[in-house]
Amino acid sequence: MMRRLASSLAALLSAAVTLSSCRGSDDQVLVNLSKGIPVGAVLALTGNANVYGQDQKIGIELALAALNGAGGVNGKPLALSIEDGGSAEPSANAAFTLQINRGMLALIGPTLSQQAFSADPIAQRRGVPVVAPSNTATGIPEIGNFISRVSAQSSVIAPLSISKALQLNPSIRRAAVIYAQDDAYSTAETVIFQQALTAKGLKPVTVQRTQLNDQDFQSQITAALNQKPDLVVLSLQAMDGGNLIRQLRELGYRGAIVVGNGMNTPNIYPICQKYCDGILIAQAYSPELATPANQRFTAAFAAAQSRNPKVSPIPPQLTAQAYTAMQVIGEALARLDHKQPLKGLSVSQARRALMDEILGGTYQTPLGEIRFTPEGEVIQKNFFVAQVLMNAGGESGRFSLLP
Amino acid sequence: MDAGLLEQMLLGALLGLSVYLPLRCGQLSLATPGFFAIGGTVAALLSTREPALAGSGSTYPITSVLLEMAIAAMLTGVLAMGLGRVVLRLRGIYLAIATIALVEILRVVTLNLEFTGGALGIFGIPQPFDSAAGYASFTLALLALICWLCDRLEKTRPGRAMAAIRDDDLAAASQGINTADTKLLAFVLSALVAGITGVVAAHFFNSWNAKLGNFDASITTLAFVVFGGSRTWLGPVFGGLLLTALPELLRPVGDLRLIVFGVVILVGPLFFPQGVVTPELLKTLKRRIRLPPTPTAQGGKP
Repeated sequence: MMRRLASSLAALLSAAVTLSSCRGSDDQVLVNLSKGIPVGAVLALTGNANVYGQDQKIGIELALAALNGAGGVNGKPLALSIEDGGSAEPSANAAFTLQINRGMLALIGPTLSQQAFSADPIAQRRGVPVVAPSNTATGIPEIGNFISRVSAQSSVIAPLSISKALQLNPSIRRAAVIYAQDDAYSTAETVIFQQALTAKGLKPVTVQRTQLNDQDFQSQITAALNQKPDLVVLSLQAMDGGNLIRQLRELGYRGAIVVGNGMNTPNIYPICQKYCDGILIAQAYSPELATPANQRFTAAFAAAQSRNPKVSPIPPQLTAQAYTAMQVIGEALARLDHKQPLKGLSVSQARRALMDEILGGTYQTPLGEIRFTPEGEVIQKNFFVAQVLMNAGGESGRFSLLP
Repeated sequence: MDAGLLEQMLLGALLGLSVYLPLRCGQLSLATPGFFAIGGTVAALLSTREPALAGSGSTYPITSVLLEMAIAAMLTGVLAMGLGRVVLRLRGIYLAIATIALVEILRVVTLNLEFTGGALGIFGIPQPFDSAAGYASFTLALLALICWLCDRLEKTRPGRAMAAIRDDDLAAASQGINTADTKLLAFVLSALVAGITGVVAAHFFNSWNAKLGNFDASITTLAFVVFGGSRTWLGPVFGGLLLTALPELLRPVGDLRLIVFGVVILVGPLFFPQGVVTPELLKTLKRRIRLPPTPTAQGGKP
């Protein structure tokens, strides 16, 4: 009996393997335009990175509405499909594979760099263009010629906030550094922060390590405060970072706080509330940038958020970058369709040609004018440093651009 | 079904078997992700740092993968043997806590060692197969082999000794069963299965980091066995396959999918406290199907 059941299970599984390997090759299948031009996104909508994925989803949907509102790709609408990639690698891989099998011409995502190292090689092997909206680790475009990003890497941005902190308060002498040692983003960014501090003659007086899922930071904060720092530099994600700032202020720290890209979201406001006030952050996007592209984006964002008066009407960086990623794909598709109508192309031809088109273009985006290097790294002109200003009640706030 | 998902399911089934083996002996060990992580790290290090293994073809040679498996099996086996002698003196929840400690120690060590890439891990792991279907066939063969061994184990002396220890440790010892050695055997086998599964997983995931073998994974793999059942090897295989696939298969449900998944995990043990697949269920199935009596070679005549 057992044996019979086991052999039928084995037969079922081998049938599944055989079936799954019999899928039609993308070389022969034409692009399916019946519902519109297929573009996919894989975002972290669940798990500890969901605070970023939610921001990104808004941006992608706004860009989709803008592109389709302006006639789509030469009259054909874009059909967007968003899948949850979770906050871990296996779920991102599964979502990537799913989207590729659905015949998507390009993918936006995944949210975390660590996921990108696992999921991007799948897209690379299948020849699917990827535009990453938020991967800031070193080495992402180097995964392959189909991988690009619109998010400038942290080695370019992070040092700017240190310079700004020193400019605001030249008497800073003692810097403390805190990062989550089990998080890829945190460990990569803290190295850059520490190099920038050392270059300014501020060798960190203490480096404290936390864990991504920590709630209580008393011991690290006490150890850091014993060194009497007048600058605290954090490479933490939104949840743990927000909690740490709260506890840091509650334990009596009054000096400057510089944070990294992980806290670049208004979703930190409810976590650290009034204690968020005054933190410094370097950004690849400023809502105050006075270009037509950005004004259209900020207006669309404010209109979309107006239904909920509690939410800030000012777009965060992650939303702007996700919007940009979608815009880049939309404009590249339009240029491609002009040269070679998508209708007659096979899926793999269209993907290859689209990648060349993405890398070849110049885009007027909310981030300013951007281009790509041949490897797929973004070339962006403007970077900013902002300070968080909280409302009197401490419920909401904004990233205010520093001159 | 997509081959990539199938591969993840098969890996889940293998990890389920790894948790099941000590549990057959009544030992609740949560060390599976620790040994899984050792296997993954060995594969990631060897395949990215050892040019001699890379071969000359476009894909990474399968012989190198088998070699990585052998090394991972050796490492995890030796570690499990040394560790098992000590921790298997503990029982029940105390053993579980000791094995959680092992998982945590390995994770923190991996995070702080330079050559394992810290939190970022190791990426750019070469591929032995062109497609996910290749992985799935390879892993299916591996799973079939291990299932066959488990099936044999249930019918042989050490396997029966394990069942006796599970039912009553003292009674088994009084019958002359060497309980310490039998428990150790189950623990080492569990480590071997987890270690070689880690090797396949590292190649399949393209990158490897400490997060893949953390405490969350201990709970997930334990759920495979609790859900599927721990009395026969079919239980953890079924649990591993189903619980890995379910979050993906539920995608059409949209935002509610993880809630539905949670409800399934909750409802499973509520209605099937012994797990879904139990020897009783198999017997019932046998009665339902009413297998025809096997005719003997002589047609019933002497």
